[in-house]
Amino acid sequence: MSKELIRLQDLTMEFDGERILDSINLYINDHEFLTLLGPSGCGKTTTLRIIGGFLNPTSGTVTFDGETINDVPPYKRQINTVFQRYALFPHLNVFDNIAFGLRVAKLPREEVTERVNRMLEVVSLKGYGHRHINSLSGGQQQRVAIARALVNEPKVLLLDEPLGALDLRLRKDMQIELKRIQQAMGITFVYVTHDQEEALSMSDTVVVMDKGRIQQIGRPEDIYNEPKNAFVADFIGESNILDGVMLSDYKVRFFGRTFQCVDKGFAPNESVDVVIRPEDIDIVAPEEGHLVGVVTGVTFKGLNYDIIVEFKGFKWLIQTTDFHGEGSTIGIRLNPEDIHIMHKSEYSGMFGDYSSYSAEYDELTEDAEDEEE
Amino acid sequence: MKKANRILTVLMFIFLYIPMVVLIVASFNTSQDITKFEGFTLRQYAELFRDEDLLRLLGNSVLIALLSTAISVAFGTAAAVGIHRLKPKMRKVVMNLTNIPMTNPDIVTGVSLSLLFVFVGTRLLGQRESLTFWTLLIAHVTFGLPYVILNVMPKLQQMDGSLTDAAMDLGCTPVKAFFKVILHEILPGIVSGGIMTFTMSLDDFVISYFVTGSGFVTLPVEIYTYTKKPIQNKVYAMFTLLFLLIFVLMVAMNLLQLRANRKRETMRSVSKGGAIFRRCAAGFAAACVLAGCCFLAFGNKQDKIILNVKNWGMNMADGSDGTLDIVKAFEEKYPNIKVNMSYYESNETLYSQLKNGGISVDVIIPSDYMIDRMRQEGMLEKLNFDNIPNFQYVDEQFKNPDYDPNNEYSVPYTWGTVGILYNTKYVDPADVTGWELLWNEDYAGKILMIDNSRDAFGIAQYLLGYSVNTEDREELQACADKLAEQKPLVQQYVMDQIYSIMENEEAWIAPYYAGDCMLMMEENEDLAFFLPQEQGFNLFTDAMCIPTCCKEKDAAEKFINFLTDPEISGANMDYICYASPISAARDYMEDYLAESEIVYPSEEILANGTAYKYLTKETTRYVEGLYQSATKTADAEGPNWIPYAIGGAVLLGLAVTLPVIRRRKKTQ
Repeated sequence: MSKELIRLQDLTMEFDGERILDSINLYINDHEFLTLLGPSGCGKTTTLRIIGGFLNPTSGTVTFDGETINDVPPYKRQINTVFQRYALFPHLNVFDNIAFGLRVAKLPREEVTERVNRMLEVVSLKGYGHRHINSLSGGQQQRVAIARALVNEPKVLLLDEPLGALDLRLRKDMQIELKRIQQAMGITFVYVTHDQEEALSMSDTVVVMDKGRIQQIGRPEDIYNEPKNAFVADFIGESNILDGVMLSDYKVRFFGRTFQCVDKGFAPNESVDVVIRPEDIDIVAPEEGHLVGVVTGVTFKGLNYDIIVEFKGFKWLIQTTDFHGEGSTIGIRLNPEDIHIMHKSEYSGMFGDYSSYSAEYDELTEDAEDEEE
Repeated sequence: MKKANRILTVLMFIFLYIPMVVLIVASFNTSQDITKFEGFTLRQYAELFRDEDLLRLLGNSVLIALLSTAISVAFGTAAAVGIHRLKPKMRKVVMNLTNIPMTNPDIVTGVSLSLLFVFVGTRLLGQRESLTFWTLLIAHVTFGLPYVILNVMPKLQQMDGSLTDAAMDLGCTPVKAFFKVILHEILPGIVSGGIMTFTMSLDDFVISYFVTGSGFVTLPVEIYTYTKKPIQNKVYAMFTLLFLLIFVLMVAMNLLQLRANRKRETMRSVSKGGAIFRRCAAGFAAACVLAGCCFLAFGNKQDKIILNVKNWGMNMADGSDGTLDIVKAFEEKYPNIKVNMSYYESNETLYSQLKNGGISVDVIIPSDYMIDRMRQEGMLEKLNFDNIPNFQYVDEQFKNPDYDPNNEYSVPYTWGTVGILYNTKYVDPADVTGWELLWNEDYAGKILMIDNSRDAFGIAQYLLGYSVNTEDREELQACADKLAEQKPLVQQYVMDQIYSIMENEEAWIAPYYAGDCMLMMEENEDLAFFLPQEQGFNLFTDAMCIPTCCKEKDAAEKFINFLTDPEISGANMDYICYASPISAARDYMEDYLAESEIVYPSEEILANGTAYKYLTKETTRYVEGLYQSATKTADAEGPNWIPYAIGGAVLLGLAVTLPVIRRRKKTQ
């Protein structure tokens, strides 16, 4: 795409003997929209704070434009941040908040006014300059925070879960808005979120993190279609993950049957994880199916039904637009491109079984995650 | 229910504010008597603003309060920011440590600071006068700091922690971030902490009492010595003004806070209120600094000699009630000397203050036996009588006294007797025969006893026929028994509190110093004085001395000489109502005093009086022990258990309810 701007090399971070980051290696290109994605506690915010200069890594280097900036304090970096809860200054109005950085830099009065007004237009807040911060809605505050960072014309904008506090509808709007601003200003965005949908829809590059380690780096499509391990497969979208054996190139055996697949390069008879996305499964009459199972649960999702189907004691999630009642017997067909093979990892066996699946359960875990943030 | 609530609220406010109302009414009263309101006047306010001494004291208090507030706010805020950055565990420990001085009894803080200052100043720095304005300031900052920290910490904790990050992200250095962002967030905490510190400092007595030298006295410390005479009405005026000042300050602060809150709630755009508030705060801070600088500049420029005099309270004419203002007259005569008066309550207090060290005093006026003791312990300087020519006017009988045999250390100031003051309305003249009146059971509960061991033992010794200077243990024990026998009859053991009790007729009989008795008799004409001449009585002399901690000996001798001038001495006696050791002074006294039998008993009566001598250290200690056990042991049969019972019940209640409350909190 374009030249490399930031590089993190062997970044390690420890707090009180606890390892938060474990040898992070990452480069970020100019004009790129890069997202750090992972569950809470995975180290994504820590990584962002190291880039911003608010934390010093225990070991490893941060380079910016070819120079090591480990010891450069935040106020000397050409980087600005949009904080999780905005961190707007309550004693200043909208205009003064946005003008803060320019005034600290002692720019002439006219230039400050001009740039702030232009920025107010960019974030669609024209005429709000004299409003008090606390009189703004969440979305408006969000935009002030973005304007306050962008008005300084940084090379990189760091965004720490900037949409986390907004309701769903507003979040969708702001996602589009952010992408628009990023493209209009031509600035590198480093974006932190735990929302996979957000990550996939906005980013040029997604970095999936867990337990302080990078699990996978790639374009959104690659991350979704070619997850590297069970964690990524599960975290990005829904996945049925099964134990299988790679008999030879393009041949995998699971559930007592041998299937054609598109993967190769595994050792003969290597144990592998087999990923099958719920929306890739074709439902057919029982007699035509590769496998035959019984529907044990149905949830209406609007666009589709989530149905839970039991195959030989193992429950799968299947997404279908056709209704299949509980107790009905169905057959499924798996095309070679629907089957994705992964090497075994520490995450094997932890994800991909829908035996205990229920819609409520899903919501509960999501809430718990929000609270932790 | 609502009505009952309202009534209770009103009652509570009445309970809280009625004392203030009484004070304010009294400050406008034309009458001297606070129980009668005779008319409205502003005279007391006019008098207040003419009274340079009171204004100076008030100025001192305000100065200390402003400076200590400014320093506490600066350091306290910095400390709070530092503590806030600590790890939570450490933060808790540090917060507890900073809270302890606040919960510490003032008396403990005061005494320990005093010890520290004296030790550092005298021992390490070799200062003669280690208790000064600066120690007072340090002490006030010491107890002000925790209040600032305590008020600022919650604001820091409430504040979004990423505000600092945000400021630094936008180009601020950490210091700049503090001033541009953090300061605005924690300002309400700083202001309320500052106001608390200011008021605490303004009215602190206990700590100030121990750490200030004689050079710089604050209002509360001085007011404490006003117990001897009824408080002057202009003091009410000053208190009213002080109360109003604090009241306005608090109301203003609350209004500002309210406005700030309202602004945040409603969706109004930013008004200029915040800016005005900020400017006010900045102005206040600037005023503090300015006041401090002025003081320092003024203090340094002053090339006058400061003469520190320690005297009994109300023991020198001060210009009130048409008397001569002696200090003023002296300062007019010697314009380069400034007299600085401070006061003590008893000979023993004075002794311990000088013994503790750390202060510089130039002139003291103790009683005979104490002069004897100080002389023997080398606490007094020899006087240069070439500088005290007026000594020639002192009557021969007062020269070379027992307490200063070669008359090297002292010049007599006043003399007087100890007799019995009684109320003729209640006491049968037939009963007034001698010291035994104080043991008369018919007047049980209406008898006051003098509260110092020397005078109390003296009375018992006269009654029992022993020498007042006896060191015989058996005789002393007999005296102690006699005093213990008196105890059930005694309403209170008092010194200066005697004034109000006798004048208000709450007690009828009390032994006390003749001069003071004269003053009380002026206030209540039913009071009479009796001198038990057959049994004998104490004839005491107060004399002027220069202690070894003196810094301005020349000026001190000038002052002593001035007070020994017959005309000055006479004018002085008009105020204090004691007898002058200078016969010539009688010509300048008002006739009723000069001719009073009480002030100047006849020669033959005087022949029966005896003076106290200094007893050996062992005997003094022995007598003190006997006195304490004879008069101060707890009264087993009294209703003393009631407060203990209430206290116990409250503690028990707390012990029972606290765990319940805590448990409830946990389950929530």
